[in-house]
Amino acid sequence: MTNLAEAPSQPGQQRSGAGTSIRRLIAQTEIDVRLFGMLVALAVILLTFNVLSGGTFIRPTNMVTLSVQGAGIAIIATGMVLVIVSRNIDLSVGSLVGFVAMSYALLMTDLLPDVLGIGPDFPFRWAIALAIGIGIGAAFGALQGFIIAYIGVPSFIVTLGGLLSIRGLVWYLSNGAAVSGIDRNFQLLGGGAQGSLGGTLTWVAAIIGCLAIIALLVNSRRQRRRFDFPVRPMWAELLLAVAGCVAVLGLAAFANANHWPQGLANRIAIEQNWGPTPEGGWQVQTGLPFPILLVIGVGLVMTWLATRRRFGRYVYAYGGNPDAAELAGINTRMTILKTYVVMGILCAIAAAIAAARLNGATLDIGVSYELYVIAAAVIGGTSFTGGIGTISGAIVGAFVMASLAYGLSYMGVISPGQNVAAGIVLITAVGFDTYNRRRGS
Amino acid sequence: MDIRKFALVAGVAAILVGACSSSATTAPTTAPTTAESMAPTGDCVVGVSWNNFQQPRWAAADKPNIQQTVEAGGGTYIDADANLSNEQQLTDVDTLINKGANVLILLAQDNKAILPAVKKANDAGIPVIAYDRLIEDPSALYVTFDNVAVGKAEAQAVLDKVPTGNYVLIKGDPGDPNASTFLPQGWDEAGLADKVSSGDIKILGPADGTYTDAWATETAQKNMEAIIDQANASGDKIDAILAENDSTALGVVAALTAKSYGFPPLSGQDGDPANLNNVALGKQYVDVWKNANELGKAAGQAALDLCAGTAMGDLTLPDGLINASVAPSAGLKATDFTTPNGTVVKSFILQPTPITAENLDQVISAGWWATKDDICKGVTASDPGGAACGM
Repeated sequence: MTNLAEAPSQPGQQRSGAGTSIRRLIAQTEIDVRLFGMLVALAVILLTFNVLSGGTFIRPTNMVTLSVQGAGIAIIATGMVLVIVSRNIDLSVGSLVGFVAMSYALLMTDLLPDVLGIGPDFPFRWAIALAIGIGIGAAFGALQGFIIAYIGVPSFIVTLGGLLSIRGLVWYLSNGAAVSGIDRNFQLLGGGAQGSLGGTLTWVAAIIGCLAIIALLVNSRRQRRRFDFPVRPMWAELLLAVAGCVAVLGLAAFANANHWPQGLANRIAIEQNWGPTPEGGWQVQTGLPFPILLVIGVGLVMTWLATRRRFGRYVYAYGGNPDAAELAGINTRMTILKTYVVMGILCAIAAAIAAARLNGATLDIGVSYELYVIAAAVIGGTSFTGGIGTISGAIVGAFVMASLAYGLSYMGVISPGQNVAAGIVLITAVGFDTYNRRRGS
Repeated sequence: MDIRKFALVAGVAAILVGACSSSATTAPTTAPTTAESMAPTGDCVVGVSWNNFQQPRWAAADKPNIQQTVEAGGGTYIDADANLSNEQQLTDVDTLINKGANVLILLAQDNKAILPAVKKANDAGIPVIAYDRLIEDPSALYVTFDNVAVGKAEAQAVLDKVPTGNYVLIKGDPGDPNASTFLPQGWDEAGLADKVSSGDIKILGPADGTYTDAWATETAQKNMEAIIDQANASGDKIDAILAENDSTALGVVAALTAKSYGFPPLSGQDGDPANLNNVALGKQYVDVWKNANELGKAAGQAALDLCAGTAMGDLTLPDGLINASVAPSAGLKATDFTTPNGTVVKSFILQPTPITAENLDQVISAGWWATKDDICKGVTASDPGGAACGM
């Protein structure tokens, strides 16, 4: 019931010869039913918009745009899962995103060149700025985490304070002005035609992903054999491998159906001497944008952290039963502090995407992110009672929110209408979840 | 709560309060004047209640100009910042009156919520100047830029450049009358509505334009991205974009950049550094500039004259105080202005200046808070603003 969806089910459970109902078949593949349900809900939302827009909605460009728009929320939501699972909350994420985004902008326009003498042509300047930003995020996270875990002030209060004071600090960073002028390389983190992998690399990445899925399945089967755990039936293994590969390759094909705008392609073609323009213009495949890659990367690392590392196990153990965790000898305070450090780092990554997309930072960058992030985690099945929630669910939850916002905007619904819809979906999603859980228990 | 916990909480609270109050008094550069002017020395104490210093222009352009004008005329300047709170602003006005203000300049957070403060000032015989934002009270002198003219200037510049084609309209917060009424009225006065009905101009996206909650840049960016996708899906080309202000225009430029769409003529207003930089780089065509330096001077002078006992109807700005290019079209004497609710107030309504790459040097030489470094960042000789930046 916790995050153990991917872990082996209880030993001794009889698998072969089980009935033929669909529920049983799904159980044999060990697919997370909740996650599957959410993906179905996401598909329903997208299809509804597609019908309403006369079939123009589900197109590669639209899907890429909405994914990039939801990337920042998705990244932070993976951390919010750990925070909520351990029975805390973080309301300061939006302000922290604003602070770090403004820091990136100031680092690249003023501080790096003027104070450290690192001019725009310095190699890996974008990485230096990113590292400093992540450091800032981690430091704020550690400070809040320390006050929560070691001094014992409730997280709601501490991060509410953070929400107010960090947002105030953003003003002092730039005296309230919008700052623009981000490095070209840093801007790539925000996606767009040039901030993407390109056609060939996208295919390479997809094939690697496909092979990795097969390798993981084979390895897991071998391990289960070794420890005499029940294994999935062979048809289920094959189904998972095929479904996984189809999903990954399909994603790549979808991303590669996007092409560079002609104007951009022509300009770069001249700059880089690609030769004469071919018949029908240049066809440069865009491929996966970097923000999406960041979401995938963060999702994998966070899932690994949550399910395969001691830290993650401790978080879920503490969330399930704080007293038992404490008595079992877990350093619960350090565990809580670490969740906030992780949160700070994720905020810094999301801030990089936001700043890169805006080519700078404004005073209000990241405002009300905390609400969307918490909503994404909760739609994704994270429970406020603690101990329950998955990283993948939160990412899907974030994309549900992003699809709604983008879809309504695409349909020309004004923002108050978008807020009404987002609120209703949030309550509906959690309502369904609560109902199912009660029925299940 | 045991005593140790209580002590801890109290201690933390004390530290926080200490930190807040110390940062509040040290950070704004001119704050000490506020604190030190408890005992007014001059004959004329001008009290200014700002609704916020969140937007940089108030502290960077308006405040120093009011202050300098008042102090040059022998008066004393005191002020308070309400941090976007109506309640705080009422308290601030009380404080300013108690500190001995003879004239009040109010940048109202809300034009109705401020009315009790205006009444209190009237009762005490203190004249009130409504600064930049209208206050619906006949006793308040209205000193502002012509907001309808701002919209008109935005649309005029873009319509001259793109007389026919597909337009996108990006509006501000749906609750702000500037966004929903005055600026669109100006657009229509410049001929937008006529061209839409004659079919010369087609509006892409919602016909009434797309509103942007809280004028937020990120929201404008997301909306614009959806509109670009929508236009691409239906095979329409975006020829021009009317954005109501600079924060939304910044979001539009970000969306155009993300989509590598190129930069169709785009409007904005405010003269923010990032946007003036975009004008120089050719990413924003026009930025309608409300030269707040001049607005501050006009308000400061009017305050001094009111102090000296001049009746509101007789107020006249001295020649040469404000730049001729922004002078009210009605002349330098206070004139009647009828508010949307039918109240008649005395007013100085200054003219905005549309800034394109051709007249960028006007902002650069005006001592605006956006410095030449800001405006010319990354500009090369081949950019539209190359000449103005001296490349």
